Amino acid sequence: MTETPTAIPDSPERPGGTIATDHIFSVDEQTVLRELAGLVVTASAEYDLPGADDELIFNDILASARDVEDGVRAALLRVADCAVELAQATSELEGQPEMAPFVSLVLQCYYRDDRVMRSLDMEPRPPFPLGYAVPEGDWSMLAAVQARGKIWREV
Amino acid sequence: MSNDRDGAKAVDYSPADVLVIGAGASGAVAAWNLAETKMRIVCLEQGGWSDPSQYPSTGRDWETRTQSDFSISPNRRAQPADYPVNDDDSPIKVANFNGVGGGTVLYAGHYPRFHPSDFRVKSLDGVGDDWPVDYDTLEPFYAQNDRVTGVSGLAGDPAYPPKQSVLPPLPMGLSGQRLAEGFNKLGWHWWPSDSAIATQPYNGRDKCINLGACLYGCAQGAKASTDITYWPEAIRAGVELRAWCRVKEITVDDAGMATGAVYFDEQGVEQFQPAHVVIMACNGVGTPRILLNSKSKQFPDGLANSSGLVGKNLMLHPYASIQGIFADELDGYRGPHDSIWSQEFYETNKERGFVRGYTYEFNRGRGPVATALTGVHSGRIPWGEGHHTAYRRLFNRIAGMVSICEDLPEEHNTVTLDPELTDAHGIPAPKLSYRISDNSQKMLDYSVARASEALEAAGAYDLIVDSPITHGGWHLLGTARMGQDPSRSVVNEWGRSHDVRNLFVVDGSIFVTSAGVNPTRTIQTLALYITDQMKKRLTTLFD
Repeated sequence: MTETPTAIPDSPERPGGTIATDHIFSVDEQTVLRELAGLVVTASAEYDLPGADDELIFNDILASARDVEDGVRAALLRVADCAVELAQATSELEGQPEMAPFVSLVLQCYYRDDRVMRSLDMEPRPPFPLGYAVPEGDWSMLAAVQARGKIWREV
Repeated sequence: MSNDRDGAKAVDYSPADVLVIGAGASGAVAAWNLAETKMRIVCLEQGGWSDPSQYPSTGRDWETRTQSDFSISPNRRAQPADYPVNDDDSPIKVANFNGVGGGTVLYAGHYPRFHPSDFRVKSLDGVGDDWPVDYDTLEPFYAQNDRVTGVSGLAGDPAYPPKQSVLPPLPMGLSGQRLAEGFNKLGWHWWPSDSAIATQPYNGRDKCINLGACLYGCAQGAKASTDITYWPEAIRAGVELRAWCRVKEITVDDAGMATGAVYFDEQGVEQFQPAHVVIMACNGVGTPRILLNSKSKQFPDGLANSSGLVGKNLMLHPYASIQGIFADELDGYRGPHDSIWSQEFYETNKERGFVRGYTYEFNRGRGPVATALTGVHSGRIPWGEGHHTAYRRLFNRIAGMVSICEDLPEEHNTVTLDPELTDAHGIPAPKLSYRISDNSQKMLDYSVARASEALEAAGAYDLIVDSPITHGGWHLLGTARMGQDPSRSVVNEWGRSHDVRNLFVVDGSIFVTSAGVNPTRTIQTLALYITDQMKKRLTTLFD
């Protein structure tokens, strides 16, 4: 069970809680990944939402990246081949197969953030144990189906 | 160690009366049904017990875990209970779960019966083969299984002969109602799905609270996985279930009778459990894998394989997914996957260009992460500017259906042993070779076209189509088929091997044809039927 982090601890290795020097990705790589995350999901004033480069969300991405290291490194290699600066590379990178694992990771972490879930009118909680309400629906609609009679095949 | 989740008890290696291999959908039923005989029944299961408090829906990362330790793909999951499957030579990849409860831990609980026509495919449509049993023979066992499972649904479905439901149906919800409106406009059949999900408290299980994560273990305990239905009762009745025991081979004596199973225990030590009767319950890939690995002087091509059909006639149920995007809000992440089904196109109509048919299993929606992944990877949600507005056009606004297409038996679709790939114990892994037939492909295409019409009638303004679903090999059938002719089948009409008179198979591998429905209810019904036959024939079981 993983909870969305509510605070990023300061430490000598993570000044300001933003960059981890003991991570499988170097500081330079983390910088690139953070900028890339912000390209995928940009902050929005209209919806009052952070981007995926937000500190809390990016630390979740970084922590989770260990499980998909090869895919993240494929994205880094693709970024290194960009013909333009990363900030202008959206059109070159978007939809490229090498980007898919990292983009998936970004989305998985972004859409479990408390602020993002609240903006979608979701309670920031796992499904269990409270569950959700679902309306029963109008079963009288079955009358039309019943009126046709049996459709199974006699043998 | 028996039945003890802490592994504290000593193991009794004296001969078992009955040895069941596999504790999933069918093994649980077989053990449960034989328990009343008071024979000594031992079950070997390669995985362990699941802990519902650790199921993904208990955590905020629940959607992420569907891609890792709760993936439906054994190759992606790669947990200690799993063995690798080489499915490179198949457009449809294996989906399963290894552990007590087997695939029922991860299934949706969509729980249709076969139809009477499904057992008479050759007679009615001139394809495949007829089954050596029929619907009427199995009906009492369907009903018995329904009671143990606690099937929810609504009696009166015009696509079936009369049958009762044990519990009220799952709610239609906003999604089901919207889709039903589309089907009503077209005059097409739909009905509340029969589901293995309790809608009221039932036999110690709590009712469904709409977690929306049925495919990844039900933390509520509402979904009828056999680890919480059949197994507790079987164990109370005296059955011994040994978890973390991976079977390497079934052994035979000079007379060609099964003598027991060689397996690796939890510590990786090779053990031998002798038995007077062996029941295979590892489904359409696991069972042929073990039989083919069980080579001996008497059976050089694998156990029970004088017909050469062990591992052949693999059927996978090609699936298409057809989802609509709607302008207004539907159920989204709320509620079980199951709601309603349609069998408008189930029975053969040759004007459609194919024989046999399929079921539409309706889908309510998807979670916030799955919505984002679908939208971004399909190009409907852009990076950067516009991401959030585009996302909100999809969130809680996707609903649709999958078509479960009847796959017919073809001998070139096989499970064999991979010459190089092995599991963690060095046991050769299975290799699939499978092609989608012309008939199945036409059925898939037809199902996509008709579903598109229905979704448009329901008000969808855009469609997301995935056909076939690559990672949709949930149903593994036909690789040890039943029949009366020993040259054309592996087991007889009551599940006993033609070649080895104390070896039985009770899982999906005995299916003669696949029908166009999810198979678990019929697998469990057949397991009840076969073990009932065993009980009735105890004094002449090996004749």
